[in-house]
Amino acid sequence: MSNIKEVRVPDIGNFPEVDVIEVLVKEGDVVKAEDSLLTLESDKATMDIPAPFGGTVKAVRIKAGDKVAEGSLILTLEAAEGAALSVPATAPAPAPSAPVPQSVAETRPTPIAPVAAVVESSGGKIHASPSVRAFARELGVDLALVNGSGPKRRILKEDVQAFVKAELAKPRGGAAGGLNLGLPGMPAVDFTKFGEVEIKLLSKIKRVSGANLHRNWVAAPHVTQFEEVDITDLEAFRKGMLDEAGKQGVKLTLLPFLMKAAVAGLKAYPEFNSSLAADGESLVMKKYFHIGFAADTPDGLVVPVIRNVDQKGLLEIAVELATLSAKAREKKISPAEMQGGSFSISSLGGIGGTYFTPILNSPEVAILGVSRSTIKPVWNGKEFTPRLMLPLSLTYDHRVIDGALGARMTTFLSTVLSDVRRLLL
Amino acid sequence: MSKIIEVCVPDIGDFNNVPVIEVLVKPGQKIEKDDSLVTLESEKSTMEIPSSHAGTVKSVRLKAGDKVSRGSEILTLEVEEAAPAEASAPTAAPEPSATNEIRADVVVLGAGPGGYTAAFRAADLGKKVVLIERYPSLGGVCLNVGCIPSKALLHVAKVITEAEEMGAHGVKFAKPQVDIKQVLSWKESVVNRLTGGLAQLAKQRNVQVIHGRGEFIAPHHIKVETADGDVSVSFDNAIIAAGSQAVKIPSFPVDPRVMDSTGALQLSDVPKKMLIIGGGIIGLEMATVYHALGSKITVVDHGDQLIAGCDKDIVKPLHKRIEKQYEAIYLKTRVASLEARKDGILATFEGDSAAHPQKFDRVLVAVGRRPNGKLIGAGNAGIQVDEQGFIPVDKQQRTNVPHIFAIGDIVGQPMLAHKAVHEGKVAAEVIAGHKAAFDARTIPSVAYTDPEVAWMGLTETEAKAQGIDYEKASFPWAASGRALSIGADYGVTKLLLEKETRRVIGAGIVGPNAGELIAEAVLALEMGADAQDLGLTIHPHPTLSETLCFAAEMAEGTITDLYVKRK
Repeated sequence: MSNIKEVRVPDIGNFPEVDVIEVLVKEGDVVKAEDSLLTLESDKATMDIPAPFGGTVKAVRIKAGDKVAEGSLILTLEAAEGAALSVPATAPAPAPSAPVPQSVAETRPTPIAPVAAVVESSGGKIHASPSVRAFARELGVDLALVNGSGPKRRILKEDVQAFVKAELAKPRGGAAGGLNLGLPGMPAVDFTKFGEVEIKLLSKIKRVSGANLHRNWVAAPHVTQFEEVDITDLEAFRKGMLDEAGKQGVKLTLLPFLMKAAVAGLKAYPEFNSSLAADGESLVMKKYFHIGFAADTPDGLVVPVIRNVDQKGLLEIAVELATLSAKAREKKISPAEMQGGSFSISSLGGIGGTYFTPILNSPEVAILGVSRSTIKPVWNGKEFTPRLMLPLSLTYDHRVIDGALGARMTTFLSTVLSDVRRLLL
Repeated sequence: MSKIIEVCVPDIGDFNNVPVIEVLVKPGQKIEKDDSLVTLESEKSTMEIPSSHAGTVKSVRLKAGDKVSRGSEILTLEVEEAAPAEASAPTAAPEPSATNEIRADVVVLGAGPGGYTAAFRAADLGKKVVLIERYPSLGGVCLNVGCIPSKALLHVAKVITEAEEMGAHGVKFAKPQVDIKQVLSWKESVVNRLTGGLAQLAKQRNVQVIHGRGEFIAPHHIKVETADGDVSVSFDNAIIAAGSQAVKIPSFPVDPRVMDSTGALQLSDVPKKMLIIGGGIIGLEMATVYHALGSKITVVDHGDQLIAGCDKDIVKPLHKRIEKQYEAIYLKTRVASLEARKDGILATFEGDSAAHPQKFDRVLVAVGRRPNGKLIGAGNAGIQVDEQGFIPVDKQQRTNVPHIFAIGDIVGQPMLAHKAVHEGKVAAEVIAGHKAAFDARTIPSVAYTDPEVAWMGLTETEAKAQGIDYEKASFPWAASGRALSIGADYGVTKLLLEKETRRVIGAGIVGPNAGELIAEAVLALEMGADAQDLGLTIHPHPTLSETLCFAAEMAEGTITDLYVKRK
């Protein structure tokens, strides 16, 4: 007698929901244990799910584009003989040993003449009587989310009431005490009315980070302090070091210098290296210096973090920068490599522009934006001389840092970057 | 000659629920085309809506503060129709049709079980309701020429048949003397009692009933042709319950001897030989009646079983019983032609049971019913009707026009009164602002034949077609004491259970009172009861209702009234 078992999504880490990118098998395929069944993509990584045992695929329950979580049913597999589990040689086992609570059967509309959705079982799996279904409908409750406390887990009216109470008691809004904005909703616009359009799905990274950026933008009062820094001498030093660095296989850019300068600034003004506690009443002052840097990848913006920048030399930082950037572009970067930052730097200098207003990388309270350096005439007391000026845009959280402190920091950075020997002090 | 037209809000861009700031005209006022009627204020601007026609304002539907969208009615206008060619007799210009206008919150088109239920529910919920019925009595097909009269006659048939069968058990009755006229008059009295009762209920609820044929002439107006002239009903909401009619085969001769179910129920006489075309519920119920009264019955159906839609194992006991009683049952056979002759209707057949042409005294055509969607002026209100005449609706019974609903036969299968009744309640409740929806998990079907056949939920045929895994428990009534005592040992009660949860997902019953017994299975399905629940519920003994318990016990493996070999 055949042994049809369910194959479910195993433990995939802390992700509540991941996308199915590709289903690698179809009904009738014979697979061996460990053969890949499907490919999932989380916020941070792509992974294949292997078959737990060998057998023939009976029914595939998911398709590309579905969202699954740990435990979601992937497919049913008819185990090959050798794979039969602990069933002793008694009467043929009627059901698989593991109790199967809810297998995913489709809802069953009774087939009728084409017209009119007359009898569609609204979720043939919902165990609730008509009066409870009507009650849930009145309250707008999705019965699939309610646990039943009645006989055999039937959903009773009290269960629906308890569900509603629990939902209402949940704290509203996000982290810092709710962000109910009370703004009118954004109206939906049908753009096709005005001309031709093409719909492009946002990448996963963009979708997730988009939501985070929006939240950061709205949660913290942002102020950006601009400053122009004379890096003529710094650039001369850097260019002079290129060959020597090159011999060690290192490409020395401006960013390692900025990082070291930032660390000096963080030590001088520790508030920039902190985060607001969840209750909003105290600052978590960090004694470590992990700096994140914005990296542009084909899929969007990622921010890898270099740890303990204070303990690393310029060349060491440069190497790590290159490694992490490459990993990010190849989608091989791990979640751990993007966590733990206490300050971030976002450099658009390679691309262009003068100043911009970077958005905080919460829970950090400051971020340094860097634009393209240009030769400018600077008055030195007697005359105008051409100097290489680097525009800085320092955004900070005004709940933690005020204008005076912000200006002091940019002045400090300017001082340190215009004479890099000061980093030794 | 003048006519009344509706002037509605035109396309005003993407805005809904735009407030009316000011109404610029009043009833009786004469206006020109393009005169401003109302001022609306949307998020972007203030705008005036111009009149599409010149005429005299009859009634204004809006006031300042109302919210309107595209299509909302503004007012009705009496416009002059361009006079047809000056010729034609100058004598008495045709009277303008009576422009009595009635206002309704809800108008219900059709007073069958769906219609009157919707009307009464809406009235109970506080709405001003107008009920339009084209026939002189309320109740629709069901009360007048369907469910009720057929059950009355089937009762007569049952008594005749049972009395006859008693002869084998020691009580011999002489052949009954049937006074057709008296039977008919009793049938009428049952029908009249019910239709009269309906009229009473309508009166008690202040539902205004208008008798006449109604048709939509505009999105918010229905014109009714009454005996006293045309009446216009303007409404906020409408519920279409205009039902269905028997399918006619165009090639069949028009002859009083070729009838539909309505004609059959008139029982003008008891034909010697009767041909019933269509082996569905209606055809077989009429067969039961006429057979009991003495006709020799021949049934023809183009399918491979009687009562399509019901599992074969449930139909079989019925088939076997009537096979012995009737002249013939031809399956997979069609009537190729009917010819009206002086001494009868000659029918020729084609198909698997290719019988010789035969002459019949009467022919009943019971091959299905067609919805009346194309007969109600739906286009004038912008209501979508499909090819076959059905009106598509969503779970709240709404058509594509948001303020117009449809229920009953006219929205789809199965064409059953109890479906219409529940849909009628949903429509009325939705109009009253309740969060109602048609949420029933199954609609039971019953054939009131002898024996009765009833089923609900999933049938085995459907389960197999949809690839749904199920467990089946079929209890033979031969093991039921009660069944034996009434001579119904051929009966069957079958339960279908969901594989994993063992909940009831389908049932089929054949035997006397199957129609009553099926209700318990419907409740079991709705409540999510499983085989264990049914089996542990104490059913009284000795009854036929026990058979449901027995079937459940068979599924549980706890039955003792039968021996089922352990697998």
